[in-house]
Amino acid sequence: MSNIYSPNMARVVEIINETSDVKSFRFEFIDQEVYKNFAWKAGQFLILSVFGVGEATFTFANPQTRRQFVECSIRKVGLVTEAIHELEVGDTVGIRGPYGNWFPFEEFKAKNLLFVAGGIGIAALRSPIEYSLDTRGDYDKITILYGARSPMDICYKDKIVRWQDSSNVDVTLTVDRGNDEWKHRVGLVPIILKEMNPAAENTVAIICGPPTMIKFTLKALSELGFTDDNIVTTLEMKMKCGLGKCGRCNIENLYICKDGPVFYYSKLKNLPEEY
Amino acid sequence: MLFVLLLQPTTYNLQQKFSVNLLLLGMSIMEYTITTNNLRSLINDLLKEHIVYAPKLVSANTVLYKTIVSFDEYDSTALMTNTSAKSMIYPQTNRLFEFAKTTDGMVLKEDEEVKKSIIFGCRPCDAKGFSLLDNLFDWKGYRDESYFSRRDKTTIISISCTAPQSTCFCNSFEDWGATSKVGSDLLLIPMGDKYLVEVVTEKGKKITEDGKYFEPATERDAAIKQEIEQSVAELMPKKLKLGEIKENLDTAFESPYWDRVHLPCLKCNLCTFVCPTCYCFDISECPKGYSNGERNRTWDSCMSEQFTKMAGGVNPRSDSKRRFRQRVMHKFRYHVDNFNEYLCTGCGRCIKYCPVGIDIRRVLEGAK
Repeated sequence: MSNIYSPNMARVVEIINETSDVKSFRFEFIDQEVYKNFAWKAGQFLILSVFGVGEATFTFANPQTRRQFVECSIRKVGLVTEAIHELEVGDTVGIRGPYGNWFPFEEFKAKNLLFVAGGIGIAALRSPIEYSLDTRGDYDKITILYGARSPMDICYKDKIVRWQDSSNVDVTLTVDRGNDEWKHRVGLVPIILKEMNPAAENTVAIICGPPTMIKFTLKALSELGFTDDNIVTTLEMKMKCGLGKCGRCNIENLYICKDGPVFYYSKLKNLPEEY
Repeated sequence: MLFVLLLQPTTYNLQQKFSVNLLLLGMSIMEYTITTNNLRSLINDLLKEHIVYAPKLVSANTVLYKTIVSFDEYDSTALMTNTSAKSMIYPQTNRLFEFAKTTDGMVLKEDEEVKKSIIFGCRPCDAKGFSLLDNLFDWKGYRDESYFSRRDKTTIISISCTAPQSTCFCNSFEDWGATSKVGSDLLLIPMGDKYLVEVVTEKGKKITEDGKYFEPATERDAAIKQEIEQSVAELMPKKLKLGEIKENLDTAFESPYWDRVHLPCLKCNLCTFVCPTCYCFDISECPKGYSNGERNRTWDSCMSEQFTKMAGGVNPRSDSKRRFRQRVMHKFRYHVDNFNEYLCTGCGRCIKYCPVGIDIRRVLEGAK
């Protein structure tokens, strides 16, 4: 395709109901040549088309080390995501990308990794989590803290069991409101994080979640001794092109679609809070 | 000729990347003259193989770039069209592709090649707008063919200004003025009953190659040109100190200045739509029936509330102040950081047509 806005055709091959409003979709490119050349890295995103409805931006849920299909976990929240939730296995969608930067894993080598996810933020952290598990030898301790509103809102239940079974990985789950069957923690992510008291030394914190959670998590991390250059996050902004041209996802002169979405907090905190 | 070049070195550095710069080819800039009658014949000749857009009077006080069928439809009296020439190459709505569900699955069809066209009577400020858009649409390794398919097939014949208005401020930009060439393929400078013709690019050279309408320019013509440049410069309003303004903007994001300066703004989006450089766009779907349709790119505006509003309702630029600040900052700070050029050509349309009289020059001068 000569046009940078023309997507490649893909087919829905599997749909996984994660929660009442989140589904994971697995896509396969119809043209195998496209699939061969479609290489992404954990942290990047794609733009998905439902023909007749429009396009929306999603992060890759699976890392490059598990690339037998393209997977996205999508919460039903607007026009396009509602149409995506209506899709059935065999339906055709359009995919263009990959776009944006990725988690700088080469800089994480020999360090401890602390993943902190809130709500649908887990969808953006699943690919770096699974990538780190697939390259496990490169890092020291891996800790995952994931919080959701309620036990029913926890995504990736099967996957989390497998993460827990991996060697030297500590997974903590928490919900805002528990129920009788809930065996894990109850409480907001920043509070649980403080209780966990992870060592800041030689540790990189990788965080993603709703703005309020991020704000208090940053405060908690700072109190735990994490420096700003050891905190990495990924941003969400409205995007149309993914190519740094449509003009909407900028913070100052940076375009989240090109210069992000992954940022060290040391860089982000010097930017105005226009995200 | 060399003398002229030495006067305006930066103009040539700014030459759009994809256009063949004649100087780099080791050729001297060529200058000709053409009489008004011969210009009429030239345009009428070009009409045989090109779509020609030119300023045309469409109703009282309204002059717009329109397709013309003969030179006589061209309105040479208007200093400036009401809207810029932008839409001749970057249309307000432009189809990216059509899609159709067939027995072979979903099929995309991109538009067929566009026809050769000419923008005649373009003012240098509008021509420069294209040079700014060229850099944006070829930025960071992504070349936007839906823009360049038209751009590459369009030849821009500009006519320099002789009577700037009070809203004009093109002279505020370094090495820029009423007879600047950036973005043009040919520049015509009116000299009574003839024009001095400066050949800027290969595309421009093609137009003059035929030769039958053009006379080589004389030293006397070059001297007249300088006189004209001088007299136009004297008519221009005072220059903005853009370097100082940029420095002020660099530290002005959190300034309380923005709390007040945006208050008159209605967020009508007009300034962004008449601007030759505002490029922000939306991508939208136009379904046709159950399984066919087209995907369009349409101009959008940073002044609109919907522009940055995400599904779920979060909006990083939710209020009027933030959006007003974004427009000013984008044009005179962020874009300069990324491209080393201002996203403005000083055409002054945003000042002239603002329904509440906001003057971007005053806004910039007050920013601290």
